[in-house]
Amino acid sequence: MSRLAVALLAAAISLPASAATESYTVDPLHTYPNFMVEHWGLSMMSGRFDKSTGKFSFDRAAKTGAVEFVIETASVTTGDNDKGARPRSRDEHLRAADFFNATEFPRMTFRSTKVAFQGDLPSSLEGNLTLLGVTKPVTLTLERFKCGQNPFNKKDRCGGNAVGKIKRSDFGMKTAIGPVGDEISLNISFEGDKD
Amino acid sequence: MPENSVQDLLSHPAVQGGVAPLIAGFLAALALARTRFAGLAILAGYATVIALTTGFSFAPLSTSRKILLVGLATPLMGLAADFLPRAGRVFLLAFALAAALAAVWVFLPVLQNKDAATAWPITAGLALLAFALVWLVGTRRDDGVRTAAAGVGLGVALGIAALLSASTGYLLQGLGIAAASGGLLLVQMILNRGARTGFTAALPIAALIALFAGAIFVLAAAPWYALPLLVMVPLAAAVPVPAGWGTWLRAFAIGACAVAAALPTIIAAWHAARGSAG
Repeated sequence: MSRLAVALLAAAISLPASAATESYTVDPLHTYPNFMVEHWGLSMMSGRFDKSTGKFSFDRAAKTGAVEFVIETASVTTGDNDKGARPRSRDEHLRAADFFNATEFPRMTFRSTKVAFQGDLPSSLEGNLTLLGVTKPVTLTLERFKCGQNPFNKKDRCGGNAVGKIKRSDFGMKTAIGPVGDEISLNISFEGDKD
Repeated sequence: MPENSVQDLLSHPAVQGGVAPLIAGFLAALALARTRFAGLAILAGYATVIALTTGFSFAPLSTSRKILLVGLATPLMGLAADFLPRAGRVFLLAFALAAALAAVWVFLPVLQNKDAATAWPITAGLALLAFALVWLVGTRRDDGVRTAAAGVGLGVALGIAALLSASTGYLLQGLGIAAASGGLLLVQMILNRGARTGFTAALPIAALIALFAGAIFVLAAAPWYALPLLVMVPLAAAVPVPAGWGTWLRAFAIGACAVAAALPTIIAAWHAARGSAG
């Protein structure tokens, strides 16, 4: 059999699988990684990252998929950007070396290693979270994941919320553990248009 | 004392950056006062702050961990040099150059991430600061009172500047150096005689403060113009005092001058904080 015939056969075999894989690019205006952390043992304070990018893809028939989120750590906000009479605002402090160290580690990433399905839709993401140069396995549950159509560009669009918990000390973020909780609740709300 | 109370106590910032390194520095200096190892008080204090805050870990080798490595290596290098009979100006020059190279090693990779065009000039400035501080503190290394006083002043300047620049981590580490140096100074005051501190104390004080200063500029919000003002502290610690003064009075006067010389750095950081929008 000639090499051309082998190549054509291989292409024909792989065609159905690749055709079934749906790939999406996240819409940064509707994708916000949020977090919550305990403060002084009292309330759960929340914050979010305003800038992130990412891609996700899944194959409903084969029940496989892949997800990647890239989060700009300098875009962290907790609603305290105006320092007023204080030397520095909380958000300045969060961007500095004590917490996200955004100059040295400008990006935090989540890359899936396995996507679990319930029915024909993804239900949870096992993957690696890299923060402050440290990579640890994290499981995010898709609290919701729905697909529809973007009313403006008529493209297929999917979105949902991926939630999970991490310990910030696992990543070397140890400042003020005690007054500020160690356990962080993540909630990445995301939407993306089909490529 | 219940375990939770001990944990609460050890996690209090005043203990981590003040009381604990002061006690560690004091006890180390007291135990070693009659030897040539009294300068290890600085290592004892610094190691105490690290043990109570970030812990000793070296991976990934980030800026703060590189600084930790320098902080642990410099007292040992200084100790080795102090054993040599003729560790004079050539050694001081070599150590100052090594500190400058350490600043390049610590900061250049981070600065190249941020802005390649300005990375080298900033790194060169931080290397110059490291060279200057090691040279200036190192020239007083044979005078335990002046070395410890410089450590107190530099630690106070750096610690408060760090706080004003959104870095509590370097606040604690800066104050930890001040506290350990204070313990060393206190022992000399109580015993009413100077200790032999040598490179063992001078090197970690100067190198660590220079690298902390670089870190609060590069990784936090300290203004660049606060950094060179740090050299005023070792200059103030060289203030002449009457030869007839006892150790207690010398330590008090020189220590007061060194702490006063910390003010320009603190004021510069405060000025920048007031003027910043964030």
